[in-house]
Amino acid sequence: MYGRKGYQLVKDFASGEKGQLKPFNSKLFDEAVEECDQNHHLIQSLIRKMQQEGLDVQNNRNADHYGALIHHLSLIRNKRCLMAYVYNRAEIVRDLAWRVGLELLDLPSEIQEKLTTLEKEYFKNHSVAIKSYMGKVGIELNVDMVPPKDPYIKVRVLDDIDDGIVLGDKITNFSRHSMHFVKRTDAEQYIARGQMEELTG
Amino acid sequence: MASTSEMGSADFETLVSTSDVELLKRAWRNEKAAPEILQYEAALVDRAKEQIELVEETIEEYVEDGIDPLVVSLYQMDLDRTQFLLRSYLRVRLLKIEKFMFHNHKSEEAQQRLSEQEKVFAKRCAGDLEKHFEESVLVKLPENYQSVLKQSLISEVDDMVPQPHLDTFVVCRSNNFVSLNLYEEGESPETVEMERGDLYFIRYKIVRGAIESGKIDLI
Repeated sequence: MYGRKGYQLVKDFASGEKGQLKPFNSKLFDEAVEECDQNHHLIQSLIRKMQQEGLDVQNNRNADHYGALIHHLSLIRNKRCLMAYVYNRAEIVRDLAWRVGLELLDLPSEIQEKLTTLEKEYFKNHSVAIKSYMGKVGIELNVDMVPPKDPYIKVRVLDDIDDGIVLGDKITNFSRHSMHFVKRTDAEQYIARGQMEELTG
Repeated sequence: MASTSEMGSADFETLVSTSDVELLKRAWRNEKAAPEILQYEAALVDRAKEQIELVEETIEEYVEDGIDPLVVSLYQMDLDRTQFLLRSYLRVRLLKIEKFMFHNHKSEEAQQRLSEQEKVFAKRCAGDLEKHFEESVLVKLPENYQSVLKQSLISEVDDMVPQPHLDTFVVCRSNNFVSLNLYEEGESPETVEMERGDLYFIRYKIVRGAIESGKIDLI
């Protein structure tokens, strides 16, 4: 059925967990693109047929006209689905830039694997846009994502953070599973990358 | 909120509600709840930035002077909150620009509401996504179907542009007595009257003008 591939592609996206990326489904994606090409060829051959029959293509309303229309609508539908697929993934990519980090290397490798080359490129471009805005305004916007309740929080280190991190004026040893009482603003970047978790209650 | 029964509390209330922090909080709340982007509060943001710098300096001085750490941490907490407000305000706006980038890009009204830096950001955003679309999808499609904004060449209007839903419902409180027309022009007129402090759940479109003039706040 015409237009089904696009529908399946969108379904594939929607079946994923909200805000989480799945690997790019290039098989379905290419099939939908392929169908667009087929539709386009059929439209053109129908138009050629009408021209050969000497009919006025603009105003003629015969079976071939409606045939071409069906192909046109199928093509548009597939286009919308393809665009929606890319658009919704791009939305998640932007969200990653805000929440996790503005450098591609900041992203955990399991997320990086799910991005296509073009999406990585988009991520970089968009990060630059955010950075240049922050630079001009002079305010960092990718910290303080949740309203502050207390300037200090309790955290547990989940992953070995190798380099000696300087908090305030002290160098601290953040070995795995150790717990610390630190400034929220200092810990936020590590929580975003999943290297620390906040202990509540 | 604050009780109005006490003498002079109304004066205090107006005094508090016109402080920059309160104004910023109001701008932030409105911006968060409104479906479309609102007018950028340029002067307010500048003042807030100045005040934040001032408090930062004060805190540094306090630390140097050896003032009680508890007092310092109270100032720090207050500073953190204000900084969060300001950051969140600017961030909410950027996220809205991202969401409706193509709409903002071509709508004059939306353009005028942005600050200069936001305009630059919006332009880059739209450019980047357009490039991404072109490289991932559009280049693979037949010639007449390669527009980002239109479904195909025969579309007369831009029918691929997401727009803010102005018909969405919002919760709001009025600051003054206002009378609003519930329907658009041409339909049967029916007005709703809001007293000061009334809480309403209403279509955004209806209160849009009143929010701009500050008569109603979103919550």
